[in-house]
Amino acid sequence: MSEPLVVAEQVEMSFAPRGILARGRPVRAVAGVDATVARGEALGVVGESGSGKSTLGRLLLGLLAATGGAVRFDGQALPKPGSAAWRALRARMGIVFQDPFGSLDARRTIGAQVEDGLAIHTNLSAAERRAQLTEMFVRVGLDPQRLGAYPHEFSGGQRQRLGIARALATNPDFLVADEPVSALDVSIQAQVVKLLAELRRDLGLAMLFISHDLPVVRHLCDRVIVMYLGRVMEEGPVAEVFARPSHPYTRALLSATPMLDPARRLTREILPGEPPSPTNPPSGCVFRTRCRHARPECAETVPPLREFGSAAHRVACIRADEIN
Amino acid sequence: MRRLWFPAAIVGLIVLIAALAPLLPLMDPVRQDVANRLAAYVPGSPMGRDEFGRDVMSRLIWGARSSLAVAFASAAIAAVIGTALGLLGGWFRGLVEVLAIRGADVVLCFPPVLLALLVVTLLGPGTGTLILVLSVLYLPGFIRVSFAEVLSARGQDFVEAVRALGARTPRILLRTVLPNIAGPVLVQVSLAVASAVVLESGLSFLGLGVVPPTPSWGLMIRGARATMEQAPMLLLWPCLALTITILAMNLLCDAVRDVADKRGGGGAPKLRLVDRLLPGLFPAPAAPQPLLDVQGLTVEIAVPGGIIRPVDDLGFRLDAGRTLAIVGESGSGKSMAATAIMGLLPPAARVAAGVARLDGEDLLRMPEDARRKLRGGAMAMVFQDPMSSLNPVHRVGDQVAEAIRAHREVPAAQASAEAVALLKRVGIADPERRARAYPHELSGGMRQRVMIAMAIANKPRLLIADEPTTALDVTVQAAILDLLAELRREEGMGLVLITHSLGVVAEVAEDVVVMYAAQVVERGPVDQVFARPLHPYTRALLAAVPDGDAEPEGIPGVVPRPDRWPPGCRFAPRCAFATAACETPPPLEEVQGQAVRCVRWRELSA
Repeated sequence: MSEPLVVAEQVEMSFAPRGILARGRPVRAVAGVDATVARGEALGVVGESGSGKSTLGRLLLGLLAATGGAVRFDGQALPKPGSAAWRALRARMGIVFQDPFGSLDARRTIGAQVEDGLAIHTNLSAAERRAQLTEMFVRVGLDPQRLGAYPHEFSGGQRQRLGIARALATNPDFLVADEPVSALDVSIQAQVVKLLAELRRDLGLAMLFISHDLPVVRHLCDRVIVMYLGRVMEEGPVAEVFARPSHPYTRALLSATPMLDPARRLTREILPGEPPSPTNPPSGCVFRTRCRHARPECAETVPPLREFGSAAHRVACIRADEIN
Repeated sequence: MRRLWFPAAIVGLIVLIAALAPLLPLMDPVRQDVANRLAAYVPGSPMGRDEFGRDVMSRLIWGARSSLAVAFASAAIAAVIGTALGLLGGWFRGLVEVLAIRGADVVLCFPPVLLALLVVTLLGPGTGTLILVLSVLYLPGFIRVSFAEVLSARGQDFVEAVRALGARTPRILLRTVLPNIAGPVLVQVSLAVASAVVLESGLSFLGLGVVPPTPSWGLMIRGARATMEQAPMLLLWPCLALTITILAMNLLCDAVRDVADKRGGGGAPKLRLVDRLLPGLFPAPAAPQPLLDVQGLTVEIAVPGGIIRPVDDLGFRLDAGRTLAIVGESGSGKSMAATAIMGLLPPAARVAAGVARLDGEDLLRMPEDARRKLRGGAMAMVFQDPMSSLNPVHRVGDQVAEAIRAHREVPAAQASAEAVALLKRVGIADPERRARAYPHELSGGMRQRVMIAMAIANKPRLLIADEPTTALDVTVQAAILDLLAELRREEGMGLVLITHSLGVVAEVAEDVVVMYAAQVVERGPVDQVFARPLHPYTRALLAAVPDGDAEPEGIPGVVPRPDRWPPGCRFAPRCAFATAACETPPPLEEVQGQAVRCVRWRELSA
């Protein structure tokens, strides 16, 4: 078996302040992350605001050009954004956004928007495109009679279905879903999550599912990586990470997630202080300023991801063995 | 569409008449007839003759040709070139932006009439020169407008989405960005055409525009001015034509913009919360007086199609030191209920019935003056978005102090000291320094702490928190919920927590009210309701939460709009257990401390 569909090696993204008068340090949104997504696999990325999870998604899609490290898709390095090869590759990757309102163009019919990918990447006739469009609408649970309607005629959940249909119109191999259900009511969330799970199974999609909602990731994904301030804190199969969270940050995150069932609740660990600024991250372990297990040596080197418990479960904490 | 046809018809008529001038049975507009000079009426000339005895009506219509041709041509040229430059400048930024935008700024620095005079003097008067001058004059406006619109459009997700599909830049610009900037550009066209008609007339009036004897409205005004005292009507006709044309153009462009805008919003009634209380629906409680007692609260909003009720017959009781959660999906009316209790309903909404007693005093029937004294005093509210609830130009410490001084007469220095103590109380580290910070210098979690500090500044007995943690990260949410629980315990406040998260309810609240489509569908102690939900909606909601091992199940459909509520049980269309019996409105039944609004609850829970 060859390498996974998407491979990121020590990928890095710094945003420099823009403009002639701009001052200050660059913001390192993603700082040396390794990630792979195999064909048909769903990888969850969890973390809070400023963890760099959305940036990582755009790096893997090639929408942003990494300022360090490399991303390979299907064995090939990602081409430069905007080049012909890059544009051709768009047909094989899709993205679903968080905001069901801002991600659709209010002034074009939904049919025209979902059709865009086909019009750009195929030579199909209008009738053939229409046939594929109808099929895609049925697949995501929308009425194909409404191809000519405008986005404002649809509810939030239906719009997310439209966003999914648009991303999947060219039958891509890889889908990045950036908080696709965070803006939806819980009753609608479950429908959309179910649809994504079905599509992934039926189409053999590789998926990167970005979310701050850990229970959803647990249901939808095979593996998960937990990010904090641009770095991976912990990664592994969802069952293992959720059953035995081993990085202090993962534990704090899980313990903070409100749970219906009192039996599932972990002892609440409130993180002290405020998240550090990404322009000036702490030395060594970036989590150490808020970690109750921190020691002076945590400030010295960036802790590498090490195997913990099993080969697939890895934790970036030098004290993982002591504290677990 | 109705708004479009009227201005379109007037503009169309004006253009049509001008275009058909050669075919109309008009007199030759340049043939002079000195015998009938300034005649008010001559057969065949209903508007009379001008100073050279030329037919006024004919000149008016032929004049429209030159006036409108100049106006439309220059506006069109400026619109096409200006929008293109603005699009490119806004999309590519860098050098293109510098050339297009700064170039436009240079043109803007010239007084328009002076520029026109200069060019006309250099090139000589004439229709071609006029079009050139006017196009250059209107160009910067179009560049500026489209540039600004492109800048705001290019950050939108839907533009990113098309880029992610691999669309080429021209396709993105033409298919996605252009339609989204069309509205402001159309308005700019209307302004340009209207002002071009005026400027053309002005320049022709000065003898710098259309060359006589070709008729134009400006030349006609110029001619009529000389004979104003003998034949005032000669001045009226071209001025009238000018005014009508400009007004019609403005109307048309407004209408076109409205029609072209597919975003909707105008048609659907906005959801507003109106609370009404129907007293006596619940048996009078024999228990000691609760802190907050809400009964039959009903809110109404008048919308074009009739009256909607975003809160319908809401009732609950909250004792001091306890937490009651109100849960429901978007559109269930939970926030509107809170604003009604606080007396903060939007002007369109009104409380139609019900009572809400705080320590026995009916909040809904008290004069606004008395209620204002309570707000921020005995009862306080915390909102979802602390950024928009805090004033960005004042230091947070001053805002907390202001909250204190709004209700108590204390010296400024003491209020400031109390503010710092409050910031410390809500867990802000280094409160002296933070008190001097502006809201944008604080994180979302800290801003919410400041909001809570303001809310508890005057030791309220009732705190209503409307989605206080929805915009926050989970670790921050956990800290804020802990803070609220601690304050409630230590200060003995009653807390009403409005949320859509059942997990939050389970962890924080003692009692819960489940709302659906403005009504209470279930109510009771949290442990009891979550362990043994009686209403199918509560059950479905719990099953949709992805916490457990079972695959979460969604609820089909969406909450109906307030003007489309089913006549019977409002949840019936989405309910897996609905039968014919559900077509009549179910009453709220009380059972063992729980209340449920479902006709089938007995058989379903059997």
